[in-house]
Amino acid sequence: MYDFKAVLGKVVSYVIFISWALITVLPLVWMFYSSFKSNEELTRDIYALPHDLVFNYNDEYVVISPSLNLSYPYDPETDKRPRLIIESATISPTRRLMVYYLLKENLPETIAGLKPGDTLKLYELPPKIRRSISWRTFWFNYSSSFLRGGLGYKFINSLVYASFSTFLIIVFGTMIGFAIAKMPFKKISAFVMSIIGLGYLISINSVIIPLFLMLSKVHLTDTHLGIILVYTAFGLPLSVLLSTQFIRDLPGSLIESAYVDGASTLRAFYSIILPMTVPVIITISIISALGIWNEFLLVLVLASSELTKSLPVGVYSFSSLTSTQLGWQLAALVLATAPAMLVYFSFQKRLTEGVVGGAIKG
Amino acid sequence: MTKRTKKQLLIYLGFVGPGLLVYLFIVAYPVFYSLWLSFTDYNPNKGGAWNFVGLLQYKTMLTDPYFYHSLKNNIIVVLVSVFGQIPIGFILAYILYRKLVKAERFFQSMVFLPQFLSTIVIGILWKRLFSADGPVSRIIQLVSHDPSAQFTMMLSPKTIMYPIGFALIWMYTGFYMIIFLANLQKMNTNMIEAAKIDGASETQIFVKVILPLLSGAIAVSTILAIAGSLRGFDLIFAMTTQGLQRNNAMVLPIFMYQTAFQNYSNSMRFAYGSAISNAIDVISVALISLSNLIGKKLNAGEEF
Repeated sequence: MYDFKAVLGKVVSYVIFISWALITVLPLVWMFYSSFKSNEELTRDIYALPHDLVFNYNDEYVVISPSLNLSYPYDPETDKRPRLIIESATISPTRRLMVYYLLKENLPETIAGLKPGDTLKLYELPPKIRRSISWRTFWFNYSSSFLRGGLGYKFINSLVYASFSTFLIIVFGTMIGFAIAKMPFKKISAFVMSIIGLGYLISINSVIIPLFLMLSKVHLTDTHLGIILVYTAFGLPLSVLLSTQFIRDLPGSLIESAYVDGASTLRAFYSIILPMTVPVIITISIISALGIWNEFLLVLVLASSELTKSLPVGVYSFSSLTSTQLGWQLAALVLATAPAMLVYFSFQKRLTEGVVGGAIKG
Repeated sequence: MTKRTKKQLLIYLGFVGPGLLVYLFIVAYPVFYSLWLSFTDYNPNKGGAWNFVGLLQYKTMLTDPYFYHSLKNNIIVVLVSVFGQIPIGFILAYILYRKLVKAERFFQSMVFLPQFLSTIVIGILWKRLFSADGPVSRIIQLVSHDPSAQFTMMLSPKTIMYPIGFALIWMYTGFYMIIFLANLQKMNTNMIEAAKIDGASETQIFVKVILPLLSGAIAVSTILAIAGSLRGFDLIFAMTTQGLQRNNAMVLPIFMYQTAFQNYSNSMRFAYGSAISNAIDVISVALISLSNLIGKKLNAGEEF
């Protein structure tokens, strides 16, 4: 008899895995393609593929007159050149959200002479302007979340936090790891290791109140430095643990021969040990940087001004403020997840090893 | 101490010192600070004037109905993690380990992915997915042929923990899958081969050989799940709207946050918040000890 049980096992396995993979991926897929849909489309059919923002060749525009509720991309006080102000009649019509300010000198006379209330089709415009508007329409949700949510600036803040903290985590972590693994004073090392190991039990969430009070005392709340220091300190346990393990396995003869050649300890560290530690440095960097990129509570508590807010906090407040603009929100969500996904898919193997190493030994 | 060892010690301290200082100041010191705070009436509105008040904050906590409400919700989150994420993660890891599916790398990377996305972003995404006019409601409409059907579980205090539990499983199952997979792969296969030669069935191998070998990994995962669930803040925070809905789904970290950073009228807000925060640690140590105890009992039973 053909092995019925084995076949059944296979079928059940596939069903479980495919359904779980779909449950995991479909919400993200929906988020990605829906971020290219206008709000009207999302209300009409929440599952349909993007259309309005993509195929905008035939879009109709209405000429409007200057008014107070417009946000000009130029200073109307100094820049007095005549402009034709047009608003889309398909995407968020009459809400003054998609408005273009075209210099009349670049337009043919028939169009430049249009009066408020007149309509024109996108393809009637000169090719250069048409392409520009077409492109901006396609990225409408993204540019709106960038400009209106100030997410561009927060994106840079998040990059700053992730990169500076990760750099410090690596520098301090490998230095401590080198000292523990390759220097004498084993008793002090064991003590240092056990103190730092306890850090695994403490998360930012569990000491957020004393952290806030301490940092306010030294005026480091709402500063980049304060936030970077906290991320660095909380990233150290994993960094020390992984780099100690790694450096311990490096042959000691290499360092001894460097000492014989008259190299100082510092020199032996950065010209011999560090280059060999690169694999584990990469692992630590990715895990730390991703963790910091995604962290939320610390910045929520410490950052009171827009200048220090990170992307997750920006996306959160943006989504509570614009709860009716689903398209913009989805674009903001994609902006916050896309870099993490990129890193994840490029370094997946190292990430897996690092997470397993940190979790099992920690 | 010779001159040589003195110099070496200085170099050693030069390497360990900077990192250790940052660590001690920012990670270790706040633990004691938090403990001290919880026994005072520290008043941030009066420049931090304080007196020792003994167990006052803890007494307030034990009479606060919000504390019990958040504790109940938090226990639900712990149960979802321990009896949802871990078993599902285990099953998925086992299927991958026995090579029952092809394209295993693809499946593995998909299931592991949410782990590395921002919990806040995922929380907002699920909030949208579960909203009354959202994609989940639309599926219900299509299945039930009722165009006015809506997904209402997020709106009622009785059912709000179901969708939240689902999102939690979605987010973290991949993590446990990877832990189990790594442990399965480094497992000694000789015992399985021996059991096969002795004519043991697939189920017998699983129950008698593989499960006992993995008891360590199961214990570690349980500890991580308990500690993580009691500290989890972002996902539930992002899935709910401030006010009634968030209060319905309140867990201890959110209770702590709202007490310390949103309830400005309470002059003891930081002291009370610290007490809640320390209580979370006590509860998590208690639950971890309990799970270890149960684990030991179960293991003892299996050895006849």
